[in-house]
Amino acid sequence: MSLQYLKEAVAEGDNESLIRYVRLHFGDGNEAAGAKEIDKAWIEALKLLLDVPKTDREFILETLAEKDAATLAHLFFHLHFYFVERSGEWIHDGRV
Amino acid sequence: MTAESKNVENDKQQLRTGLWATVNERYPGSMITKSDFVALAKSKKPLSESRLTFVSTAGVQPKGSLPFDTVHPIGDYTFRCVPSDSKPSDLEIHQLKYPTSGAERDINVIFPIERLQELQAVGLIGELAPNFFSFIGYNMDAEMLERTLAEDLAEAVEAEGSDVALLAPA
Repeated sequence: MSLQYLKEAVAEGDNESLIRYVRLHFGDGNEAAGAKEIDKAWIEALKLLLDVPKTDREFILETLAEKDAATLAHLFFHLHFYFVERSGEWIHDGRV
Repeated sequence: MTAESKNVENDKQQLRTGLWATVNERYPGSMITKSDFVALAKSKKPLSESRLTFVSTAGVQPKGSLPFDTVHPIGDYTFRCVPSDSKPSDLEIHQLKYPTSGAERDINVIFPIERLQELQAVGLIGELAPNFFSFIGYNMDAEMLERTLAEDLAEAVEAEGSDVALLAPA
């Protein structure tokens, strides 16, 4: 999908096209695979917190407070791939 | 058919409409329609007297340089300079959208730097430009791709006095 296509979707509130784009990106052009990838990343993140380990909340809160929204959005995409890679089930052709 | 119209017909074939249709099936809406077209420049001297550079979408970069942004949903519009005298062990690949396992074993299959060095050594190529250039092909903003990445790359290629640029998509 071209950037213009996405901007039109934002203007029209066409969220289905936007999330479809995210799924296609995460699934390397396969929407169903991309949806599974999103689930996989969240499952991996959840598993890491089940035992309520000590985490660096100060870092998290400082980062959220100090960094701009675009940087955090970019980080969000990085985190998706981080947790997918950590899950050990890598479907992509190449590497990040 | 005049020589000029024959050139126009040849140039149209370079658009590779079949390839774009395939890309469009995988990423709906990504079909880029071009109303203008710049024909390839003709070589002015033999390859054996030319300075050659190499431009690739393989996502190859010198180890230690900022990794290409393969996770960004809209793409990465930067390029990396790859010294043409690099050894394969100096290089690494950051690219999400093509199988890299073969290239990890022998980078020449996607970025034939040693083959070009050999062709220069035997005189088939006059000389190699100081740098080759690499970027990633996942870029959804066609306008930025053309106006930023392509123009910055063309400027970098020109600045090194290259006579010939070998272009290779990954």
